[in-house]
Amino acid sequence: MRADEATLARLMALSQQGDRQAYAALLESCQRWLRGYYSRRIAPSSLDDLVQETLIALHTKRASWDATRPFLPWLAAIARYRWVDHLRRLYRADEHELHEELLGTDDEPAIAARISLDRLLGLLPPAQERAIALVKIEGLSIAEASAATGQSESLVKVNIHRGLKRLAAMIEKE
Amino acid sequence: MTMPQNSDALIAELVDGLEPVKPLRLGEGVALALVAAGVTALAVALLFGLREEWLAGHLDPMQLVSTGLFLGLALAATVTVVVMSRPQVGNDHGGWRWAAAMAGFLPLAGVIVALARGAETISPEVMRHGAECLAGGSAASLLVFALLVLWLRRGAPTSPERAGLVTGVAAGAFGIFAASLHCADNDIVHIGLWHSAAVVAMGLVGRALVPRLIRW
Repeated sequence: MRADEATLARLMALSQQGDRQAYAALLESCQRWLRGYYSRRIAPSSLDDLVQETLIALHTKRASWDATRPFLPWLAAIARYRWVDHLRRLYRADEHELHEELLGTDDEPAIAARISLDRLLGLLPPAQERAIALVKIEGLSIAEASAATGQSESLVKVNIHRGLKRLAAMIEKE
Repeated sequence: MTMPQNSDALIAELVDGLEPVKPLRLGEGVALALVAAGVTALAVALLFGLREEWLAGHLDPMQLVSTGLFLGLALAATVTVVVMSRPQVGNDHGGWRWAAAMAGFLPLAGVIVALARGAETISPEVMRHGAECLAGGSAASLLVFALLVLWLRRGAPTSPERAGLVTGVAAGAFGIFAASLHCADNDIVHIGLWHSAAVVAMGLVGRALVPRLIRW
């Protein structure tokens, strides 16, 4: 069963009060949601690590959610931060193929579209978005990305650097 | 935290370590900064004394306008810092820029008047007095600065560099506001250049130091 915004918010409010049963249900739901959220936007071999890193971030930063505000945009901001941080640390992914999985919140398409990683990537200039997608997400080498895009190798590197910097500055942007 | 081998083990570990937490409230964060600014202002008044003209019952319009602009900037930047501690896709962190743009007219006016006056604006006496206000305003910002950094460490700022800059601006503006309670110089060149310099300096300090303290 996929939890909706209202259920997640209620579970989180209980979790902030120390309710372990609610917290276990919340983390299970968040884990499923994060797997969908990150799919197609991270090399499959990195997915488990990134989901776990984000769950730990959720745990350590749980006081930063306010019960008067929606839960999923908060979780998405945490997830985007971890994702950009992961891309920055990544020099080359092992996997070359992407898993086609569904984004986790198809029952709330309007919210899902606003907080998605695709929307964040779409805010980048096309050349930067392409360079990051090919090298940081699909795992191509700089030379392969250069050949695929027609950009010089140095331009691919510049576009990745500038794109990641811009992504980091836009994490909370809709 | 050491990463368990699978997510189920991690979730069990996190659930086991769950403790109640007090959510970060916007009002609480702003109130904390205001209390720190108030304590600083009180300390300046007690240690160095209030402006002599105030004690004589005289109020200078230039001083009131400039102090008000710095206070407005301090409040706007503080609210932005507290908002940054509570991440959410859709948050707006740009409100403080309008206050900064308005306060930016002070150094602009100071530069124009200084250019018109010429060499007298860089006399050793003027420079010494200006440097005193720069140092005093920066020192008076440290309590607010420290508390805002601690607040950010409790929160989850997704843009540590920007949060550091705005923290420095908020603290610097509160600091020069407190220092203005003592500084008796109402000249636009002094206020526009040296008082504004305290805000800029603390903004740079915040941008350089804070990110490494709040990154998560």
